[in-house]
Amino acid sequence: MPGATTPSVGGRVVAVTGACTYLGGELLRALEEDPRYTRVLALDVRPPAQTGGGPTRPGSKIEFVKLDLTQPTVDGELATLLAHAKVDTFVHGAFLSHPTHAAEWAHELEDVGTMHVLNACAGVEPRRFVMVSSTLVYGAHPKNPNFLTEDAELRGHRDSRFVNDKVRAERQVQRFANEHPNVEVCVLRFAPILGPTVSNMYTRFLRRVAAPVMMGHDPLMQFVHEQDAAFALVEAVGSHATGPLNIVGKGVLPYTTVLAMLGRVPLPMPHFIARQLTNMLWATQIVGSPPSFLDFLLYLCVADGSRARQVLGFTPRLSIKRTIHDFLGIAPEDGATDIARASL
Amino acid sequence: MPDDEDPIIGDGEEDWFGDADPRVPDASGAGGAGGAGGGSVRRWAGNELRFVDPDREPDLDLPGSYVPSALGESEAALRELERRLESNRTPAFPIDLRKRLPLEAVWRRWRALAMLGRSDVVDDFGRDPRATARWEWLFEFLYTRWFRVQATGIENIPMRGRALLVANHAGTLPYDSAMVMHAVRRDHPARRDVRPLVEDTVFHLPWLGPMMNRIGGVRADPANAERLLEKDELVAVFPEGEKGMGKLWKDRYRLQRFGRGGFVKLALRTHSPIIPVAVVGAEEAAPMLGKVTWFAKNIGIPWIPVTPTFPWLGPAGLLPLPSKWYVQFGEPIDVAAMAGRRTSGDAADKPSAAYDDRLLVNQLADQIRNQIQKMIEGLLEKRRSPILPAYLG
Repeated sequence: MPGATTPSVGGRVVAVTGACTYLGGELLRALEEDPRYTRVLALDVRPPAQTGGGPTRPGSKIEFVKLDLTQPTVDGELATLLAHAKVDTFVHGAFLSHPTHAAEWAHELEDVGTMHVLNACAGVEPRRFVMVSSTLVYGAHPKNPNFLTEDAELRGHRDSRFVNDKVRAERQVQRFANEHPNVEVCVLRFAPILGPTVSNMYTRFLRRVAAPVMMGHDPLMQFVHEQDAAFALVEAVGSHATGPLNIVGKGVLPYTTVLAMLGRVPLPMPHFIARQLTNMLWATQIVGSPPSFLDFLLYLCVADGSRARQVLGFTPRLSIKRTIHDFLGIAPEDGATDIARASL
Repeated sequence: MPDDEDPIIGDGEEDWFGDADPRVPDASGAGGAGGAGGGSVRRWAGNELRFVDPDREPDLDLPGSYVPSALGESEAALRELERRLESNRTPAFPIDLRKRLPLEAVWRRWRALAMLGRSDVVDDFGRDPRATARWEWLFEFLYTRWFRVQATGIENIPMRGRALLVANHAGTLPYDSAMVMHAVRRDHPARRDVRPLVEDTVFHLPWLGPMMNRIGGVRADPANAERLLEKDELVAVFPEGEKGMGKLWKDRYRLQRFGRGGFVKLALRTHSPIIPVAVVGAEEAAPMLGKVTWFAKNIGIPWIPVTPTFPWLGPAGLLPLPSKWYVQFGEPIDVAAMAGRRTSGDAADKPSAAYDDRLLVNQLADQIRNQIQKMIEGLLEKRRSPILPAYLG
């Protein structure tokens, strides 16, 4: 790219919410090494590992600023901060990676927190706004086509607050994008992220020894490797791409094949029984996924990543098979398990 | 160089791996770094022990806490990685025990067992090559022994490139789509794979739906069909859909309405030729005498079929009767040319928008429907007497 199209080489200031999430941390690490960025504000409730537990580390461009998006007046605070630091790129990644029983708090953080962030951005108008979302917002639905494109309806999910809060946040960002044409708004919808170090709903679910299978149903599943996901986010922060983008891995696999590759014990059960059972186990906090998640084991929710390839130039490097092997800790060459990393 | 020496002979026992450990920065650095490095080697060895020694720097294990160290940033990154790996590990099983027991072999065997009959690579729409090969014998048996299918005109299917196969539909279960698929795979010189579009009611049936998906079936959705045709695949579509499957015995071989002409729009939009396909015999394989609708909705199907065998023999009644089948593949139809002929007047200058012309689409759909109806009647005439030869062939 010629220098004229790149915004102010060497002078970019980035603010990242959710700096302690996996993607936030990887983004901080990449921005630290990139000479295009002069200052990075890591916003979270606790300092990320990249600042070494304190406000900043000597010689580092990352500064930690404590920011709790659930506070009612956080938007004014954030606006002052953004204006003061002359932030030109805002990355909003403060979203939960797995469902929680504290649904009220999750709502305050994701839906209302996004409102606070957008309030602050509306005043300051950073040049670029990148949001981290998930392909779960499309919802698992019997009428889904095999590949959901970005213009598909965000169905969200019936009685799943975990998904619906993200849908509401996305709608707000969409409205913000319409009202502020000067801001390049980009929403990255990540397929479930899998890898040896990331932790989210799917990794927790797939690390258990056994997993429920809805009798007679076997939808296709899609994952993205954690390295590919982190790379896509870094690319998106540096690019001019706008609009929603699906960030997905290479290839799909049926759910039962995923379980077989992982060596998990499938527990087939009729789905009305599974729903009751999960309801009980979720209420007693024995399992980490609510009953509404079972729909993702019944119906397709697979997204098409071709727009990210065209607009962002992002192509996943690792196939779903390699992603699963990496998640398990199997070296690619001989298929032998690295005993220290394997999770039985 | 300490790196080149045999560590056990060359170094003291307490930190023999110190310099060989690639994670530790070079200890033989100049000036002050040398002293700090020398101390850090032992320090690192101490950190290794912190899992066994509970009262040594307990705050190290707290997530996010960082202890500034002479080792610098690489250690912080390493510790962060270590923390993440540690927190993700399944705590239920003692790790040390796992290292001693030969569980690895057992675990590997279990995974190999679980992967029997399935492939770890499927195509974008879920077709599993190994599962397909696994069911091959069943379709071969149905094709050659049970239905004794006679396929004609298979040379009308192109050797390569996209085409849309349009066929009539009958029977309680979609045996006809399986037979069309198998005919092309078996008898066509290029052994091409046909991807049949499966209507929702069948696609979401327990067991049957996933199985059809594994052997190549795709949910009937315009987006799916378009994507397949763009990839130059053969797509088989049954525009009668549910209405075709729900035909009663008295209406056999009378084609129902061809949907809303979606397949014509699809062919126009993707510039694919349409190959009409007539299937005769499927009606006799499962003659539907009546259908019960009042209870069926509760179990998620549009109706419960009543055939000479079905509810009476239980699930075995769903097996098809051994009727004699004929499958005829017609000449490819260039729909775009047909559309051009119809709209020689004002719309001829923008043929790309032909699929938006609802009247035209419906006309073309009806024309293709008539053609398939004629092909069916030709095949029925060949069969002459209606009932008994239908089974004896």
